[in-house]
Amino acid sequence: MSKNGKDRAQAKRIVQQQLAKERRRAVTLWTSVGVVAVLLIAGMIGWGVAAGQESDNSGKLSVPASAVDEGTAFARGSGPVTIDIYEDFMCPACHSFEDAAGPTLTQLVDAGKVTVRYHPIAILDRYSTTEYSTRSAGAAAAAAQGGKFFEYHEVLFANQPPEGGPGLDNAKLIELGRSVGLTDASFADAVNGRTYTAWATKVTDTASSRGVTGTPTVRVAGKTLDNPTPEALSAAVGAAGA
Amino acid sequence: MDIGLAARTTRAWPWISTVARLGLAAVWLIAGGLKVGDLAASGRAVNAYQIFPYEVAKVIGAAQPFLEIALGLLLLVGFAVRLSAFISAALLVIFIAGIVWAWSQGLQIDCGCFSKGGELGAGVDPAYGWDIARDVGFLLLAGVLLWRPRTRYSIDGILMGDDQ
Repeated sequence: MSKNGKDRAQAKRIVQQQLAKERRRAVTLWTSVGVVAVLLIAGMIGWGVAAGQESDNSGKLSVPASAVDEGTAFARGSGPVTIDIYEDFMCPACHSFEDAAGPTLTQLVDAGKVTVRYHPIAILDRYSTTEYSTRSAGAAAAAAQGGKFFEYHEVLFANQPPEGGPGLDNAKLIELGRSVGLTDASFADAVNGRTYTAWATKVTDTASSRGVTGTPTVRVAGKTLDNPTPEALSAAVGAAGA
Repeated sequence: MDIGLAARTTRAWPWISTVARLGLAAVWLIAGGLKVGDLAASGRAVNAYQIFPYEVAKVIGAAQPFLEIALGLLLLVGFAVRLSAFISAALLVIFIAGIVWAWSQGLQIDCGCFSKGGELGAGVDPAYGWDIARDVGFLLLAGVLLWRPRTRYSIDGILMGDDQ
């Protein structure tokens, strides 16, 4: 009888162990299904949110009348060789490039050899507390609308704010516009109203789709210069046949 | 009544695993949280690796922060810890491979691990070595959980009927 009781206790324990094992198996299976579902849904939410932001952006898009290259750049000169310059007004290396290569570019434009297309992209918003990259690119578009893109582009680099700070505020952007002859109220309105914010996003997006991952990116007749010195620029323009 | 060393280690494992679980959860929540505010920048960070076409990079960049946050939440509450740890490890291996690729190609990029990443300015050196070392550290956390997925204060534990 004692033996019988022991057997029964053992049988009971085995059954319990099997039940516990079965439970663990079921829990593992269903929690795994849950994880896969949660992750799939999370990924789809991300995709949906991004697509929503993009279509929202294209709804607000206004393109300056003088923009060329699918409405994403402003041209200077009308020579046969195209130089594409992708710049961010927040980027110190772009400022250095402008200082070093500016006179060469002016010379090439004046000689009728090149068309320079400036693409003001906004990839450095994280380096200011006020999204200065986007705001300055938008202000440059407003300047283009007022017929003063290149002049405004020059004063923006000359007054480039340091990285990590608040950037230039709208009042300063408007004041700089006034200094190059953008005295019209429509310029100030466009800066304050952020009229060209969606446009700056589109220019940035277009540049990314063309493989631009840093600034300044300088392309002569479609070919990227690894090190855009004035000499490299002249040589590339010569090689492109001007 | 001496408890053997082996027995004491057995008792300690759920606690060690719990620390690893919460640590890995924090990693994902912070990494995802820093990127989720600007999905376009996250897409550009993926694009900067120059592995995928931009359209594909944009989708990955948009989905990734949400995936990271979801994985962080799963680990935080301790739901399907072994599978979550496995997926974490797989992602980390992919990230490390991406950084090694960028390094080998001489790309000048921020890995975008804990930021919106993307291109670096002139004169800023990429920190690929540190990025990889850090990711390997996270991989160790995931490894602990793969090996010993039973943790304290977890939904798994409640569902399995463990003592909490």
